[in-house]
Amino acid sequence: MTRSMPTDCWYAPAASSEVDRDLLPVRAAGLPVVLYRTGAGDVVALEDRCAHRAYPLSSGALIGDTVQCGLCGFVYGTDGRCVSVPSQPNVPYGAAVASYPTREADGLVWVWLGEPGRSALHRIPDLPWLADAGWSTVSGEEDVLASFLLLHENFADVTQVPFIAPEIAPAVLGATPPPLDVVVSETSVSLHRDFPPAPLPAWQAEIVGSPLDTPYRTEQSGFFPSPAVWVDHWDAQAEDGTWVRLRFTHLVTPIDESSSRLLWAVSRDFALGNRAVDQYLDGIFTDYYDRVIDAMEIAQEVLEIDGPGPEVNVNADAVGLKIREIVSALLTAEGA
Amino acid sequence: MTETETRLREYESDLVVESYDVVAEDVVALTLVNPDGQALPAWTPGAHIDLVLTPEITRQYSLCSSPADAHRFTVGILNAPNSRGGSAFVHEKVSVGSTIRIRGPRNHFPLVASPRYVFIAGGIGITPMIPMIAEAEAAGADWTLLYGGRSEASMAYIDVLRAYGERVTLLPGNDVALMSAALDERIGTPRPDTLVYTCGPEGLLGAVEARCATWPSGSLHLERFAAKATEGAVDSEFQVVLARTGITITVPDDKTIFRAAEDNGVSVLGSCHEGICGTCETVIIDVEGEVDHRDSVLNAEEQASNETMMICVSRCRSGSITLDL
Repeated sequence: MTRSMPTDCWYAPAASSEVDRDLLPVRAAGLPVVLYRTGAGDVVALEDRCAHRAYPLSSGALIGDTVQCGLCGFVYGTDGRCVSVPSQPNVPYGAAVASYPTREADGLVWVWLGEPGRSALHRIPDLPWLADAGWSTVSGEEDVLASFLLLHENFADVTQVPFIAPEIAPAVLGATPPPLDVVVSETSVSLHRDFPPAPLPAWQAEIVGSPLDTPYRTEQSGFFPSPAVWVDHWDAQAEDGTWVRLRFTHLVTPIDESSSRLLWAVSRDFALGNRAVDQYLDGIFTDYYDRVIDAMEIAQEVLEIDGPGPEVNVNADAVGLKIREIVSALLTAEGA
Repeated sequence: MTETETRLREYESDLVVESYDVVAEDVVALTLVNPDGQALPAWTPGAHIDLVLTPEITRQYSLCSSPADAHRFTVGILNAPNSRGGSAFVHEKVSVGSTIRIRGPRNHFPLVASPRYVFIAGGIGITPMIPMIAEAEAAGADWTLLYGGRSEASMAYIDVLRAYGERVTLLPGNDVALMSAALDERIGTPRPDTLVYTCGPEGLLGAVEARCATWPSGSLHLERFAAKATEGAVDSEFQVVLARTGITITVPDDKTIFRAAEDNGVSVLGSCHEGICGTCETVIIDVEGEVDHRDSVLNAEEQASNETMMICVSRCRSGSITLDL
């Protein structure tokens, strides 16, 4: 079977805060991975399966900077090489698990599952608002029973929000939508549109503390910098010139052909550090993403039961179709 | 529900020349950066960008910097004596600090993963090979480069390449017999574990193509930067069904599909309008009649499959065609 998940891509399967001096199992691009931090604070990613017998290393123990299998006692170093086995003085030839390149940026742990040598030639998207003091963020994560591509196509489809979550969508989405500008390059695609002045959605007006009918002009942008990320910007400006900005970050890691890890984050540059606002937003967006996830899981089910089937496209699908094209080109280049 | 107008375009930006280096006789390397410090779009080895030099002159150049560098695009440009105006403009009018509009990147010469590669470059055709070789080396692939040119002094990036040692063979002197023998030795016998990448003058591309005719399909990857001649082509009127938009249009004998679609208010991507850059590649959903492929991007096999077409030059000989537009 041909692979549908690119491996020549930096994925962010976990937040930096989740990776510590213990063993964290994750799956990415069909591979089992165990993450941990060394005494010096570096993140290590190893194949989460003992080279000796089928058993996850994450069910073993972290001893210093090494991992010991909980079933057979093989011990592995940070480079994945087995350094000792309990039953004999010498390590058997070729005893090793894969060690994956890792990086930390913007409060996230990024893992490279492709050919290790190529990792340095590929970029990690900049997501500075996730770790910058000028922003406050609420976030959540979920395993979704839908392929990573379905998630991206959903994020890229600007026409879906008013259907999935009418009450949180900006009022401007209901009116005549302005033209959608789509900008493509070899490996990325973005969208942009400018909405004329209109009231903020009720939840946002409440947090900002502006009267419900205050008009804001809104700039919406969406970015697909790599198969690991979709980002939305919603920047609104009042007539007095003040901005209120929102960043919706979606870190998508394919788990296998038909499921994905979604780490979502909603960042704002207003009401900074306000716990009550955090709780309020957490409630709204946990509920929103639950609905998105439900819809995507239903779509995945249809695909699995009835197959891909013919699909009709409209012009506004240009973004999602370009994403399919980019992913398909990446897979071809990987020889998948 | 109201209509959402969708306007599609490629990434475009006015970049500033950060450095202008003479890297060989008649070859300059231009390094371009965004004046506001913004990151440039990511790309993979083999990609090229458009330089929009004047309203009339847009040319394609391969990127030869590192894809890991988010802030710089470097292109190598030959001052060709029979230039169509692009390289002469760069050599005469451009210097450090000049502003140049770029479009892209796009890639019709992607490096497909393989345990073994044979790279064959002639002259300025070396530029896309520089990041390809870096990637092949990083991936631990077994690779060789055959690089021909007029003289060592005219061959760009020789120093960078010499550092790879025996993997690199330089053939200065434009010696056709020597090149021919080297090609026979490198690609005379098909190997299923090897991909062949070539870029350079038409004579070299033809020689490589001829030798690769017996190789497994998909082994040879080549890039042309000049349009193939399409003499004697006859243009007639035909119908195009634009499936996404939901309309049928007539393409008159004096217009391309691209222009006819634009005239009907459909936003389509395009750049060179000569069938060489590949920007307007469009999926063919259905065809009644015969597609007349006139581009220099798709190989014969890809053209025959009628899966996609370059709508800036290619046409339909009669009847109608349904496109994913």
